[in-house]
Amino acid sequence: MSRISKALTGQEKARIETELKQAYDFDPKDPLFSLTRQQLGGPELNRRSVLRLMAAAGTLTAWHLMPGSGIKAAKAASGGHLKAGWAGVGEFRTLDPAQINQVLLFQIASNVLSGLTHINPQLVAQGDLAADWSVTADGKEWIFNLREGVTFHNGDPFTADDVVFTYNRSRDPKNSIHSRVLSNVTDVVKVNDHTVKILLGAPQASFLTKTMERASGRAMTIVSRGGLEQLSESQYGLTPVGTGPFRVTSHTLGQSIVLERFENYYDPERPKLDKITIIPVIDAEPLAAAIEAGDIHIIGGNPVAPELIDRFEANPDLIVNIVAGPGFQSIWMNPWREPFKVPDFNKPVEELMKEKGFKVRLAIAKAIDRDRYIERAQFGRAVPAFGTINPAMGFYFDESLGENSNQKYDVEEARRLLAEAGYPNGEGFPTLKILSTPSARREVQVIKDILKRSLNINVELDTKDFPVLIDEFETMNYDMTRLGSGGDYDPDDGVVDWMQTSSKFNGRNRDKDKMPFGFFSDAEVDRLIDEQRLISDPQKRKDMVQKVNKITSDKVACAFIFHPIDAQIRHKSVNFPAESRIPGLMDLDRTTIS
Amino acid sequence: MAVMETTEGVPPEQTQRWAWLRFIARDKKALVGMIVLAVLTLAAILAPFLTPYDPNAQDFAMIGAPSWAHPLGTDDLGRDLLSRLIHGGRISLFVGTSTVLMALLVGVVLGVSAGYYGGWLDTIIMRYIDLQWAFPNFIIAVYLVAVFGAGLSNVIVAISLAFVDDFARIARGMVLTIKEEQYIAAARTLGASDNRIMWRHILPNAAAPIIVQATVSVSYAILAEAGLSFLGLGVRSDTPTWGLILADSRSFISRAWWLGFFPGLFIMVTVLSINFLGDALRDLFDVRETKDLGAH
Amino acid sequence: MSGFIFKRILWAVVVMWAVATLVFFMLRIVPGDPLAAMLFDAGDPAAAEELRKKFGLDQPVYVQYAKWFGRLLMGDMGNSIYGSRIEVSRVIREALPRTLSLTGLSFLIALVIAVPAGLISALKRHSALDHAVTLVAFLGLSMPDFWIAILLIITFASGLHWLPAIGYVPLSEGLWPWFSHLILPSIAIGTPFAAIMARMIRSSMLEVLRTEYMQVARSKGLFKLRLVMVHAFPNALIPVVTVMGIALALLMAGTIVVENVFAIKGLGRVLIQGILDRDYPIVQGAILVVSFIFVFANLLVDVLYTVIDPRIRYD
Repeated sequence: MSRISKALTGQEKARIETELKQAYDFDPKDPLFSLTRQQLGGPELNRRSVLRLMAAAGTLTAWHLMPGSGIKAAKAASGGHLKAGWAGVGEFRTLDPAQINQVLLFQIASNVLSGLTHINPQLVAQGDLAADWSVTADGKEWIFNLREGVTFHNGDPFTADDVVFTYNRSRDPKNSIHSRVLSNVTDVVKVNDHTVKILLGAPQASFLTKTMERASGRAMTIVSRGGLEQLSESQYGLTPVGTGPFRVTSHTLGQSIVLERFENYYDPERPKLDKITIIPVIDAEPLAAAIEAGDIHIIGGNPVAPELIDRFEANPDLIVNIVAGPGFQSIWMNPWREPFKVPDFNKPVEELMKEKGFKVRLAIAKAIDRDRYIERAQFGRAVPAFGTINPAMGFYFDESLGENSNQKYDVEEARRLLAEAGYPNGEGFPTLKILSTPSARREVQVIKDILKRSLNINVELDTKDFPVLIDEFETMNYDMTRLGSGGDYDPDDGVVDWMQTSSKFNGRNRDKDKMPFGFFSDAEVDRLIDEQRLISDPQKRKDMVQKVNKITSDKVACAFIFHPIDAQIRHKSVNFPAESRIPGLMDLDRTTIS
Repeated sequence: MAVMETTEGVPPEQTQRWAWLRFIARDKKALVGMIVLAVLTLAAILAPFLTPYDPNAQDFAMIGAPSWAHPLGTDDLGRDLLSRLIHGGRISLFVGTSTVLMALLVGVVLGVSAGYYGGWLDTIIMRYIDLQWAFPNFIIAVYLVAVFGAGLSNVIVAISLAFVDDFARIARGMVLTIKEEQYIAAARTLGASDNRIMWRHILPNAAAPIIVQATVSVSYAILAEAGLSFLGLGVRSDTPTWGLILADSRSFISRAWWLGFFPGLFIMVTVLSINFLGDALRDLFDVRETKDLGAH
Repeated sequence: MSGFIFKRILWAVVVMWAVATLVFFMLRIVPGDPLAAMLFDAGDPAAAEELRKKFGLDQPVYVQYAKWFGRLLMGDMGNSIYGSRIEVSRVIREALPRTLSLTGLSFLIALVIAVPAGLISALKRHSALDHAVTLVAFLGLSMPDFWIAILLIITFASGLHWLPAIGYVPLSEGLWPWFSHLILPSIAIGTPFAAIMARMIRSSMLEVLRTEYMQVARSKGLFKLRLVMVHAFPNALIPVVTVMGIALALLMAGTIVVENVFAIKGLGRVLIQGILDRDYPIVQGAILVVSFIFVFANLLVDVLYTVIDPRIRYD
C-alpha cells in the first residue's frame, strides 16, 4: 500500500477528494441525477458526468481517480507481432460474452468485440459503436445513434438489428449467464437501421457504464447474428465474430489464440499491431521462463504468482507496474460448528466477548501474524487485511483499521482468549480441518504453521478441487475455509456480496431450517449496507462503509488475511499507453512493439 | 499389467530356508539394494528420532541452498528438506508396500479360486481380470482416482485395485499347473479339504513368482503414488510424500534446483534398489535369463 | 484366423462398453458440482437451472445414461460443461495429434537408444560395457518420468535456453518448431521405455545367439556383423514385438504425466483437467478414447504376432 499511496502527491489527493465530493453531490430523486440532458448525451460524456453517474450507481471510488501508469516508453511504429502469455489458465474456454465468467476472458474479448459504449481510463464513457446518444427527461428512454459504415469481421454490416438481436439473446437465461444485468431494460426498439431506443423500467445511473459497457457489461456486448448462424454456438465461442479492432483468425483450444488486425475497423488509427498471439500458461515457472527468454512480451490473465515479482523487477529488460489490487482473502469459520459456534451475532461486541465460541473465533483472528503470513506465503507482495474494504477502493479504505480492529494482531491476547474458552495453551482443542483449493495449499500451510506457533492448536489441510470446495462452502459444510474475492473496485463488492444476511456467497445452499444464516448475519450491518447504496454524500457513504467494515471485522465474520496487489509485467519493447490501462482490462488496440 | 511379469508354469527350485539370503549376498547389486532399502525403511520408521528438524516447522530461511545446517537445503516455506524427505519416506514406502499387500491378497484369492474351481467362477473372475488387463496400472489408478477423488486413502485403494490383475493372473496360472501334479492328487485321496489343498499345498508352491511380482510391484506402486501426487490427484495433506514434495517444487525449480532434484533422487534410489532386488530374486527362482519383460 | 480376429474384436467392444458404463455411473457419485463452480461468481440461479436442464442433469441417472449411450452410438460424445461447451469430440480431435506426436517421437527416441545398447551388451556379454549399459538401463527404469522432465527443463530450457520449456506447435507451422517443442517431453517419456527395450533386446539376442543354427552359422565362419544383423537380430525382435502392447501402455501412461509438466494439451492433460473440473463429458470421452487405443493396440499386437511368428496359431 505504501508504495502506491506514496506515489500520490498532496495535490492529487486534494483533487481526488474534490472530484469525489462533487460527483456524489446530487439529488437522488432526480431521474437524471442532477445532470442536464445535454450532459447525459453522447458521443462522449464529460468527466464530471461520468463520475456523477458512477457515484449515483454507487460505483465511484478514489481508486478510479488515481492517475494511471506514469511509465512512458518510446513510441513505436505500427505493425509487429505481439506475443502474450495469459497466466494461470490452461485454455480459453469461451469468448462468447454471454458465457464469459472470468476476467481473463474479458481481457481477450474486449479486443475482439465492441459495445455501444466503452470507458477509457479517465472513466469517460465514449461512444464505441454508438456515434452519440440522448436521454429523455424522465431518464427512462435512451436513444442511440449508431456509427455508420461499421462492419463485422465477416463483412456483415452492423445495424440496429444487431443491437436488438444481442438484447434478445442476452436477456434469455437459456443463452446467457448474465441475463440479470438486463433486468431493468424493458425493451430495445429499432427506430431505423442506425437508431435504437432502449427503454428502462426505472432510471439507472449505471446504465451507460455497466449495462452498455462492452467489457464489464457482458450483456450488451454486440454479437454477430450472421456469425452465430454460420458457426455453431460452440465454434462462435472459440472464434467470435465482432466489430472490434482485432479478429480471431485461429483458436486452438489449450494452445493459442491468434488475433489479427481488422482492416475495416471503424477507427483507421487503430489497431497498431498486425498480430497478437495469446497462449495460456498454467504454471508460474514456465511463464517466467517464457518472458525472460523473450518468447512472450506481456503477461495478462490471472494475477502473476507473487514469488516471481522480485525476479521480474531485477530484470532490466522487464517493466513491472504495480497498483493496489481489489479483493480480500480470509479464513471463514463456520459459526454453526464447535469450537467457534456463534448462533447469533446480533449483540454488542462486549456481549459476544463473553461467549466461548466467539472467544475462539477472535483468538484465531488475533493470532494470525499478517506480516509473517505475507512474507512467507505471498513473498511480501500483499497488503494486510482486516476487512473486505481494500486499498484499491482508495477513498473507502480504512488505513487505521489494522490498529483499531478487534482482529489486530496480538498473540498474548489471543492466547488469553483461548485459555478463557477452555483451551489453555491449546490443550483439548479439537483438530480442525481447513478447506482450500489445491492452488491455495501452500498458503494454508503457512496459516497452519502460524496457528500452531501462536496458539499451539492443530489444523489439518482439507484440499478439494474447486467444484467440491464451492459445494461445501455454499452448504456450510466445513470447519474453516480459505476463500476470498478477486473482486471489483467498489465497496459493494466487499459488503453487498459477502456481508449481508442475503449476500450471494453467505451460505447460499445451506439447510435454511437448521441455519437461519450462513457464515455471518448482523441486523445493523444489513441495514447499513442497504443504506450506503443509496446515500449521495461520499463522506457519509464512506462513514457507513467503514462502519460496516469495522463491525464485520470486530465481530469476526471471518479472519481477514490479505489484500492482493495487481502487477502488470511486460517487456521494455512493448509500449502500453496509459490511456489503455483500464482497470481489469488488457486493451491492446493502442499497444505497439519495437 | 505391469511391465515385468514372471515365470508362469516354471516350478520353483527347492531352496533351503536361508538360501535366498546367501544368494543375495553373492549378488552385488542385490546386496546394495537390500542395504539401501533397509536403511530407508529404518529411517522412515525412526524418522521422528532421526530427523534433525520437525518436517513441518517453517523455522528457517525460505529457499535456502544446501548447507551444513541443512544438507539438502530448505524449501519455499523455510522447512528442512532432508527432514521432510525422511518423513516423506514413511508415506511413500507405506503406500508402496500396503497397496501391494492389498493387491496381492485380493489378487491371489481371486486367482487361486478361479484356477482351482474353474467353471463359472473362473469365467467371471477372468472376464474381469481380462478387462483390467487391457489397461496399464497407472491409467487404472488415474481412472479410479477420477471416480473416488483425491486423498491418501483413496490413492491407496486406487493403486491396490489397479494391481490386482497382475497377482490374479499369476496365481491362477500357477494353480492350473500345480493342480495336475501328483502330490495334489495324493493329498486329495488322503481326504484333504479344498481349502487345505489350495492354501497349504498349492499356494506355497506358487509363491516364488508371486514374491517376485510383489517386489517389482512395490516399485511401480511408489512410482504410481508419486505420479498421482504430481498430477494433483494424489495425497494432498500436509504430510509430505516424495511425489508431493516434487510436485510442490515446480514453481521454484529454476531458482532452487535442490527442491526438484532431491525428492526425485529419493524416489529413484528406492525404485532402483527394489529393481535390483527383484532382478536377483528372479534369478534365484528361475535360472533362465529371458524374464525381463515376460517376453513370452 | 478370421474367427479369432472376430472374437477378439467383439471382446474389445465389450471391454470398451464395460469401461464406459462403469465410468459413467461412478462419476455420478463423485462429490462436486461443475455448474456451481462455473456460476459461482455470476450467481444467476435462473441460468443455473437452465443449464442443469440443458445438460439433463436434472434427470434420473439411468435416463442420463440411456441418452448418453444413445448419442454415443451415433458418434456424439457430448459437450464440455464449461465455457462455450465445445464438443468433446473436437477437444479430443485437437488433443490426439499432440499425444500421438509425442508417443511416436518417444518411441523413436527410445529405439534409437535401445537398439544399439541392447545389441552391444548382448554381443559383448559380461564386458564392462555390458555392465554399464545394464546399470544405465536400471537407472532409466527407476527415474520417474516427470522428474526427468523437470531435470530437462532446468537444464535445457531455464538454464541453457536451448529449447522451449513448454507448449506444443503443430507440424503445420514447420518441422523445427514442432520438433523442438517435443524433444524434451519425448526424452522424458522415452527414457524408461528405452531402458526396458534395451534389456529385452539383450536377453532376446542372447537366446537367439545360443540357438543351434546360430552356433552352426558361426562355426561356418560367416561374417559376424552380417550374421548378427540379418539372422540374429530379426529373430530377436519377435519377442520384442509381442510386448508392444505393453510398450504402448507404458508410453501412454508416460504422456499423461509428462504432458502436464510441459503444458501440452494432449489426451492426458484433457483427462486430468477434466477430472479436476468435474467436467463429466470430457472425462468420459477421454477415458473412452484412451481405452480404445489400448484395447485395439493390444488386439493389433496379437494379430501381428500371429503374422510374424508362424509357429503360433489361434483357433
